[in-house]
Amino acid sequence: MRPPAVTQQVLAWLDERLDLSGLRAFIAEKSVPRHRHSVWYYMGGITLFLVGVQVATGILLLLYYRPSAAEAYESVQFIVSQVEFGWLIRNLHSWSANLLILMAFVHLFSTFFLRAYRKPRELTWVTGVLLLFIMMGFGFSGYLLPWNELAFFATKVGTGIAGAVPVAGDFMVRFLRGGDEVTGATLTRFYGIHVAILPAITTVLLGVHLLLIQRQGMSVPPSIEKRAKAGEKIREEPFFPNYVLHDVMWWYVALAVLAALALFLPWELGKKADAFAPVPAGIRPEWYFLAMFQTLKLIPSHVFGLEGEMLGVMGFNIAAVLLLLVPFIDRRPADSGQSRVLTAAGILAVTYLVVFTIYGYYAA
Amino acid sequence: MATTQLSRRLAGIVLAVTVCAAAAPAAAQTAAVTQCETCHRGQADARLSTPARDFALTDVHRERGFSCVNCHGGNASEPDQIKAKAPSTGFKGKPAGQAVIAVCAQCHSDATLMRKFAPKQRIDQAAEYATSVHGQQLAKGDTRVATCASCHGAHGVRLVGDAQSPVYVRNVATTCSRCHSDPARMSGYTLPDGSPLPTDQHAKYTRSVHHAAMVKGNDLSAPTCNDCHGNHGAAPPGVGAIANVCGTCHTVFATKFALSAHSQIFDRSCVECHSNHEIAKPSDEMLGTDKAAVCVTCHGDGDNGFKAAAAMRGQIEQLKAAISHSESVVAEAENAGMAMGSQSIALREASNRLTLARTELHAFDPKPVEAVLQEGLAITAKIDAEGAAALAEMSYRRTGLAVSLAAILLVVVALRLKIRSLPYPPDR
Repeated sequence: MRPPAVTQQVLAWLDERLDLSGLRAFIAEKSVPRHRHSVWYYMGGITLFLVGVQVATGILLLLYYRPSAAEAYESVQFIVSQVEFGWLIRNLHSWSANLLILMAFVHLFSTFFLRAYRKPRELTWVTGVLLLFIMMGFGFSGYLLPWNELAFFATKVGTGIAGAVPVAGDFMVRFLRGGDEVTGATLTRFYGIHVAILPAITTVLLGVHLLLIQRQGMSVPPSIEKRAKAGEKIREEPFFPNYVLHDVMWWYVALAVLAALALFLPWELGKKADAFAPVPAGIRPEWYFLAMFQTLKLIPSHVFGLEGEMLGVMGFNIAAVLLLLVPFIDRRPADSGQSRVLTAAGILAVTYLVVFTIYGYYAA
Repeated sequence: MATTQLSRRLAGIVLAVTVCAAAAPAAAQTAAVTQCETCHRGQADARLSTPARDFALTDVHRERGFSCVNCHGGNASEPDQIKAKAPSTGFKGKPAGQAVIAVCAQCHSDATLMRKFAPKQRIDQAAEYATSVHGQQLAKGDTRVATCASCHGAHGVRLVGDAQSPVYVRNVATTCSRCHSDPARMSGYTLPDGSPLPTDQHAKYTRSVHHAAMVKGNDLSAPTCNDCHGNHGAAPPGVGAIANVCGTCHTVFATKFALSAHSQIFDRSCVECHSNHEIAKPSDEMLGTDKAAVCVTCHGDGDNGFKAAAAMRGQIEQLKAAISHSESVVAEAENAGMAMGSQSIALREASNRLTLARTELHAFDPKPVEAVLQEGLAITAKIDAEGAAALAEMSYRRTGLAVSLAAILLVVVALRLKIRSLPYPPDR
């Protein structure tokens, strides 16, 4: 099917000036592997789509949101009650943020278990893990912005945990809070981090991540890589339109889920934060920090003469570094079999995260 | 002989200087242990030893440098019992009756002296006491009545703000009840109408809303005995003064009541409907023409008061029902995910109108009550309309979403079909 005449004229106009023949050839030639594990490769696409939703809804929220302790809560209240479709935008932003982190975790673990991090894709893995940490930073900073009671006290607890880091702990707490306590200064600081600093870092990391994927092509699982090396042909499909249409289909599914969540489970605003109010019951962080939160609660106050909380925080830092270094720990070639130790560690990590998140949810 | 007289005069001058110096300690320093205490603490008879021990342990006077001789006279430095209590020492023994008042008043009615220790404290307690029923009975020679020490204690006197003091705000009722709940002690006393003085005031007070506020609500501003009867000038509020007494706290109610026809008729004003010691938490059931209503005690079917009571109660119930309905509308809309913050605030405003109406009705004029209630009803009507609009908006959103979801799913199916129809290149 040929494009309409107007489109052809526009493309011809652009081609005359920009020489799009290279791009056309790239689109026509680019193909991606197709196999029984292909479904996992769409998880990254869904995550990317949700990032787009976050950017779009975040920009719309910025038009009305006011980042001060005196006005933040009221401005969010205004958005959800007075602004046309403000309720939908705020609900989409909140739900999309949570789905985004969920999909980022699914993408991370699918990449891990399919060994897609192996040479030459080490840097793609590192940028991906860094992006996951950045997304969690988005979640942590964004949670406080409505300036409601639960977020206020959860942020107080969350930033307080940074104090357990040896040597730099006190500095980190003051740096995060913009003072000794969670105040309007913390809100302004979190706002700046949420809408300027983290988006800037994300743009760079995401750009490198996508560029590397494009440059190195899509990986295939070791079993298929092995068969390819043995001379067996790998099934492929054109990137355009086949893979793109698949991606778009999944994006639509994500959009349907988001819309249903936004309507049937609207994100509560709660009460306005009051530093002098008693700490309300049920203070807990967002679900993606629950496993860590619950672990810290369970660690005794002192272990072998050291502070339990400090040990826990250091443990999480070590785990984060190990996660970043996975491609440098498992240095086998892409077509070699599973590393049993790493597979066991991955299963253990997923089990720990799921069990402790559920435990933390009900314990809180 | 002359030498002996001179010696006695000199001894007298020395003693007078000593007593005066002791009577007005220059600074708030704890008094040193005197011979009186040394001797009394060693007594086998508890009546003699306990006062000395109590005085040493907790007494506020001792902490400020006063000693036994300031109230009892005598020579505190004389180890010999006979000489210490010799008539020349001004020894008074155990004061009783009017002597207790006089002993306490010698300092507590002395503005110059009290300024050194408690400059804000009043100095008219003795004068007030003389006007009290206790003081008047004492003046008639009745020594069974309470004097200063009956309430404050004699030795081991604590500051009024000390939670262990018998006159600390939470302990006042119990302290009064020690005598007033004792039928034997109260026998022979009568009310102005000649009936025997009851002894159930404390029992009734413990069932009252005031007691509950103080004990359960820990509200130390809630009234106890002395807030209505006075403390040093304790007496029942006279007929006609009750509304003033209640009005010291319930100002608005007293103002409204003063405007009412009832203020001219009720001998016992507030007490006519609310009783005195056993004041229950007021309820709307007290108003109206039901059996439980206090109005029907005087008003009968058909009279204007009866009609007014029925009208006011009916309107109050109408606003209560309207508020209840609005609450359910707001809750339904909130549960559906709609922001109802301003409506929740308006609901509180409607409840305020209800409270205001309950205040207004103490003027017993249906018109201002109705005006306030109508304001409340207008607020609830607005909340209902906004709640209905919110629910309609929610319905619109759901319909819109259902259509959007159907469209999205249609696109998903179409994409799936399109993908299936796409040709795949041969394997490479």
